[in-house]
Amino acid sequence: MALCVSVDHVSKQYILGNFGYGTFRHDLQSWWAKLRGKEDPNAKLGGPGLGEANEEFMALNDVSFEVHEGDRVGIVGRNGSGKSTILKILSRLTTPTRGSVKIKGRVASLLEVGTGFHPDLTGRENVYLNGSILGMRRWEIREKFEEIVAFSEINQFIDTPVKRYSSGMYIRLAFAVAAHLKSEILILDEILAVGDMGFQQKCVAKMKSLGQDEGRTIIFVSHIPGYVKELCTRAILLRKGQMVMEGETLPVMDEYERELRG
Amino acid sequence: MSEIERTDEVAWDHVITSKKRVLDINVKELVKYRDLLFLLVRRDFVAQYKQSVLGPLWFFIQPLLNTLVFTVIFGNIAKIPTDGIPNMLFYMAGTVVWSFFSLTFTNVGMTFATANGLFSKVYFPRLIVPIANVINNVITFGIQFLLFLGFLFYFLLAGSALHPNLWILFLPILLIHVGLFAMGTGLIVSALTTKYRDLRFLVGFGLQLWMYATPVVYPASIVKPSLLWVLWMNPLAPVVEFFRFMFLGKGIVNPLFYSISVVESLLLILLGLVLFTRTEKDFIDRI
Repeated sequence: MALCVSVDHVSKQYILGNFGYGTFRHDLQSWWAKLRGKEDPNAKLGGPGLGEANEEFMALNDVSFEVHEGDRVGIVGRNGSGKSTILKILSRLTTPTRGSVKIKGRVASLLEVGTGFHPDLTGRENVYLNGSILGMRRWEIREKFEEIVAFSEINQFIDTPVKRYSSGMYIRLAFAVAAHLKSEILILDEILAVGDMGFQQKCVAKMKSLGQDEGRTIIFVSHIPGYVKELCTRAILLRKGQMVMEGETLPVMDEYERELRG
Repeated sequence: MSEIERTDEVAWDHVITSKKRVLDINVKELVKYRDLLFLLVRRDFVAQYKQSVLGPLWFFIQPLLNTLVFTVIFGNIAKIPTDGIPNMLFYMAGTVVWSFFSLTFTNVGMTFATANGLFSKVYFPRLIVPIANVINNVITFGIQFLLFLGFLFYFLLAGSALHPNLWILFLPILLIHVGLFAMGTGLIVSALTTKYRDLRFLVGFGLQLWMYATPVVYPASIVKPSLLWVLWMNPLAPVVEFFRFMFLGKGIVNPLFYSISVVESLLLILLGLVLFTRTEKDFIDRI
């Protein structure tokens, strides 16, 4: 199978504490002081060297992996392991500090259900809006519209503003749009933790069939081991920004569960 | 080594690195997302008046109220001359052009603040949002302009000494000019507000002052000729006067300062696009 995602020595650095002062007045003040050769009135007490306030934090540290077409990769790790950061970079929401990510094919990335849903618009209007935010063309949505509504099980409410929906209906509709996206690569974050058990099972089944029957590539982040085992063909374990293990799902998940037990 | 060679054989669609180019606009991608542009315009337009009693009528009420307030305060109480044009018409001409600028400027300037939720969850060409804002305000201007035309016809029929002239044909260029100016300045503000939050308050206040530095509630003809160049320093001053001249036949048109204003709007849109595209890449790390 051909390569479709290549993550090459990616690091992401965040700066802890304050950077810049966030207000124009302070920046002007500092700039004016520097201009006159005076000490910055806003400098941290103690000056540099003594307890550096701006500590660097590596959310991702030299992570490399490859994904091939049709792979269903689960990324697991505890809180703070860098799962969300790698997803943000893959979804093009932010850039890596070092290294590069290369992607071939259309990416649909679901870091949240119902992104861009507007409460005053009807379910139908929101399906179109949400679909096009995720990169679909209007005719593609029209083609899939019936399927989306059927999957979401909210037929009779499709012309009601979504602010009148129950949270369950809202999420079902949002997931239905996402599941019917036309994209080669699907990136999913934890979104299975929504809806009731029945609908969660339906979502997992749907995603599995997207991978198995339509050959789509799925990158899935979760900390629920059960879903990863059910869905994924490969898994990646992150720990404190570093990749500790990569390979077949089961051995990686065994290692992850060992880590969880401490 | 073999691994690297294999990687390079693939025709990548996206390469994500920390590199920033000076002006990074992917026109092809923008075109691909045109459906989203259309839907965002529609969403903002519809959402504006859903669940309001008067609905779309608000598009007319706003300029009418503005005009009324100006007529009472500046016309009847302060008695500022209006070049012999009926007060209502004079103020309406000013307010229609000014609100096109100020609304576009404000909306575009708030891009990162209002679309933050969207931007931090899904990728699409960020420029779509400010472009949708501009289109939205062009439509709003169109509606309010019709209202202005209605009043113009009424006063013409009533026999007022008004002289609409062929310069009207210049209106589309004037609109593009103001639109680019508003979008350029708005993009600059939007990029700066991700760093300086308090700029937002400054913008609201500055906009008010700016209106009084623009001949909206007074004609340029009341300014001493020797001091007129001060007024022309404001790129919007020649625009408002020119608009009044087209439709009402009164107003000082200074081709030199008008041209300077056009050049300024082109420079500002360029600077705005550069700052915006620099900011959009990783602003979610800083907000």
